[in-house]
Amino acid sequence: MNPDKETIAKSLLDKFVKAGADDVIININHDNSSQIKFANSKIATTQDWTTAKADIFLAVNKHLVMTTIKDFSEKAVYDAVSRIMKFANASTPNEDYNGIAEGPFTYRNIPETFDPKVANLGETSVDLTESAINAAAEHGSKRSAGVFESSTSSSYLITTNNAEAADKSTKLYFSFRAFVDDYASGHRVCNSRVLSKFKPERIAVEAAEIARQSINPASGEVGVYDVLFEPLPFSNLLAQIGEASSIFNVESHLSCLAGKLNSKIADSSVTITDDGTLANGFGSGKFDAEGVPTQKNTVIDKGILKTYLHNTSTARKHSTKTTANAGLISPTPFNIVFNNGKLNKEEIISGIKKGLIVTNVWYTRFQNYATGDFSTIPRDGLFLVENGKVSGAVKELRISDNLLNILKNVVAIGNKPEQVFGWEVEMPVITPPVLVKDIHFTKSVA
Amino acid sequence: MLYADFWEYDFLSQKLYKLPFYLFFMDLDIAEFALNHALKLGAKYADARLETTATNEFILKNGVPHMAGFERVQGLGVRVNASGCFGFASTNELEKEKIRQMVEKAMKITSAACRIGEPADMSEEPVETADYVVKQRINFEDLSPKDKLNVLFEVEKAIASTKVDVPGRFFSMADFYTEKYFINSEGTKILSKIPRYDFWYFITINDKGKTAQRYWQYGGAGGFENLTAHNFPEILKNEVMKTDEALRKGITPPKEKIDVVVGPQVTGIMVHESVGHPYEADRVMGREAAQAGETFIKQDMLKTKIGSYAVNVFDDPTLEESFGYYLYDDDGVKARKRHLIKNGAINEFLHNRNTAAAMGTKSNGASRASSFNREAVVRMANTYVAPGEQSEEELIEGVKHGIFMKNFMEWNIDDKRLNAKYTGAESYIINNGKLGDYVLAPVIEISTPALWSSVDATAKNMEYHSGTCGKAEPMQAIPVWFGGPSMRIRNISLSNKK
Repeated sequence: MNPDKETIAKSLLDKFVKAGADDVIININHDNSSQIKFANSKIATTQDWTTAKADIFLAVNKHLVMTTIKDFSEKAVYDAVSRIMKFANASTPNEDYNGIAEGPFTYRNIPETFDPKVANLGETSVDLTESAINAAAEHGSKRSAGVFESSTSSSYLITTNNAEAADKSTKLYFSFRAFVDDYASGHRVCNSRVLSKFKPERIAVEAAEIARQSINPASGEVGVYDVLFEPLPFSNLLAQIGEASSIFNVESHLSCLAGKLNSKIADSSVTITDDGTLANGFGSGKFDAEGVPTQKNTVIDKGILKTYLHNTSTARKHSTKTTANAGLISPTPFNIVFNNGKLNKEEIISGIKKGLIVTNVWYTRFQNYATGDFSTIPRDGLFLVENGKVSGAVKELRISDNLLNILKNVVAIGNKPEQVFGWEVEMPVITPPVLVKDIHFTKSVA
Repeated sequence: MLYADFWEYDFLSQKLYKLPFYLFFMDLDIAEFALNHALKLGAKYADARLETTATNEFILKNGVPHMAGFERVQGLGVRVNASGCFGFASTNELEKEKIRQMVEKAMKITSAACRIGEPADMSEEPVETADYVVKQRINFEDLSPKDKLNVLFEVEKAIASTKVDVPGRFFSMADFYTEKYFINSEGTKILSKIPRYDFWYFITINDKGKTAQRYWQYGGAGGFENLTAHNFPEILKNEVMKTDEALRKGITPPKEKIDVVVGPQVTGIMVHESVGHPYEADRVMGREAAQAGETFIKQDMLKTKIGSYAVNVFDDPTLEESFGYYLYDDDGVKARKRHLIKNGAINEFLHNRNTAAAMGTKSNGASRASSFNREAVVRMANTYVAPGEQSEEELIEGVKHGIFMKNFMEWNIDDKRLNAKYTGAESYIINNGKLGDYVLAPVIEISTPALWSSVDATAKNMEYHSGTCGKAEPMQAIPVWFGGPSMRIRNISLSNKK
């Protein structure tokens, strides 16, 4: 971290304290990201973004203000302090606010979260993209689309309660959708913090294989099916569970987990953790938004809901301890991890009498967040399984079911987890393929 | 150095909460510098967007203010054509050296990528020079945080007055002021200043352990007077009472084929999802295939029938006070009203300069970026079904047996925009032309051609509603209106869940 940024942060903190602030958190970030976007097997555009900013949280007599400043000149900093204090004093107090964490803290290095090879990737990203497109074409893909994204960032955080921390991060993200024709497609993503575990070519080939197998899909039949969710679509649903585990969403009635603490809400085979310390975890980091060292929290343990995710303020309100998931307003997960199972995919498929393999979903929407009633639409390869064998591709079906039913109806868990983060899954999730029984499917009636 | 004046009021009076003088300036020379540097490095074309957005945001959750936040963001985005291909770069570090480095990096990576890139052209368009502003009678910056939060507290009070059990009450309000300076290497220069507001609610109604939820959004371009004109306390009071009654009294929807009258909110989401999105030319060309998806519409379907004669659909960025308002797009092209469906036939797509060139036509000004740091792509602005001659009551009177779906909660559509689902919230049985019992969560699941072919009449009760539309990667959320009048859809089946 540039020491100038540390000096700026400390100076800002000092100015806020002198101006009468009770609690202050300053987090200075610098980020550079690059993206290659391709479509029709050609690069459509390249993008590059640089952002330098200071996120500021401030509390004065329970009046809370959050802001970001991006001009670090002496005059700008001086004016920002004056402006923020005026804004805070003129707002209305939040009686639910209970302070920020007491430091100092000791931070552990998290393995595989920074790789200088990623930071210096440069035009290698073009070569990797080209290799992936070509590999997919060799496996039957007629056209492909996606993105290759790399980013490098650094952060420095300091608080009035003696937390002081720095972190640096690299990320690689590759999204690849292969088409054999308009209705035969496959989509895969890969995410890594280090170059050695990043396999864009492999997922391009896998996307092409899904596309090839989904040629000439039949119109699917409405009904109830056992469903083998591949990691990509199951991550979409697990991200909803991750959102629902935030105490902010529980209090807002945006969660089907409300009122169910210490109750059985899932099959006994289901354990879900949130782990901010996961090596190579796409959301991993040394500390949360108030500087508390990240940790591993078991949200669902063998089917029992064990905790919601908290920051210090919400934890004090609910007479518990922070789970190190600040979000200063809304606690948020780092990496949602579904436990690993023992079966390989073929073993799971062989046990399905009448089922579907879902390789991707999109547009998940809720009729009622409190009950968990939702629908989502399978996209890309969707395969019918009859008597333990894949009998063909189908299309035009919609999952119309309930999130809690899905957790309760888990009947088999795969042994090959994947890390997922992407366009439809904006929260990092690690999950193997999972078989869920009795899922309702609907379709257009005209 | 050329400066843009950011606000209309006198900064020097320095009333409480007004921002420091210097923050409202944009050094327009920076944009010129970036553009010229790109040309010097050999760019065949370049444009630059210098943008400042000032945002204030407030959240009230279950009667407790959870956040007051504000932000001032300024940055520069530059698009270049290097070796025949396009690339984009942005930064909020506006020192000349940093900008020089950014442009050089953009040129280098774009050239390198062009080895396997898709060379792209731009449609020829007039060079434009313009400077426009949306006026505020009551300027958001003249109000204190308490004044703004009070809007949310008034809603809280109105809900309390209904005596209905509403355990979940989540409201947010934001105002944004964006000044944007666009220039390109052809000589176009556009300066725009647009204030926008956004109000959002999410409520949970409880009746003996059964719950129902509703959310909606109101937004537009203008001042505080535009926001308060909506009368949110009255809207929420009505919403709470109707949702509660529907929860307590609602009956199961009919299973047989029926006629359905949908209210303007439902018309709005239908037209946005199943007309606006599939008519985006970049989807037609496959550019969004790995993100927001493709479309069942092909280029050669222009002028073919997609709906009944009663269906006319427009998208119009120039609607005053609209959430999606602009007069020039982010390619610097003058915006105009687009006639997407004309008497049931596909009439035109939404275009930027790249898609227009690829399809041999002219841009119709649909290029938008959510911020200085995002590439401009083809987007909707304000999409709506054109009104007819009858009243909503007359549409209902024409139904012997059916339902009236006034609004909705859950919806989605597949990534080809061919099969959609809309689940009703406040809904009623229609018997012999009259509204009867409430209906609980009726579900329309229908293909796009079947939907628009089954519309036999549109009413004259035009309404525009607000949304934040998502597309591109990274996700770009942009303000839009969608709307229209009530529509009558003949002879369709409801939910088929077994």
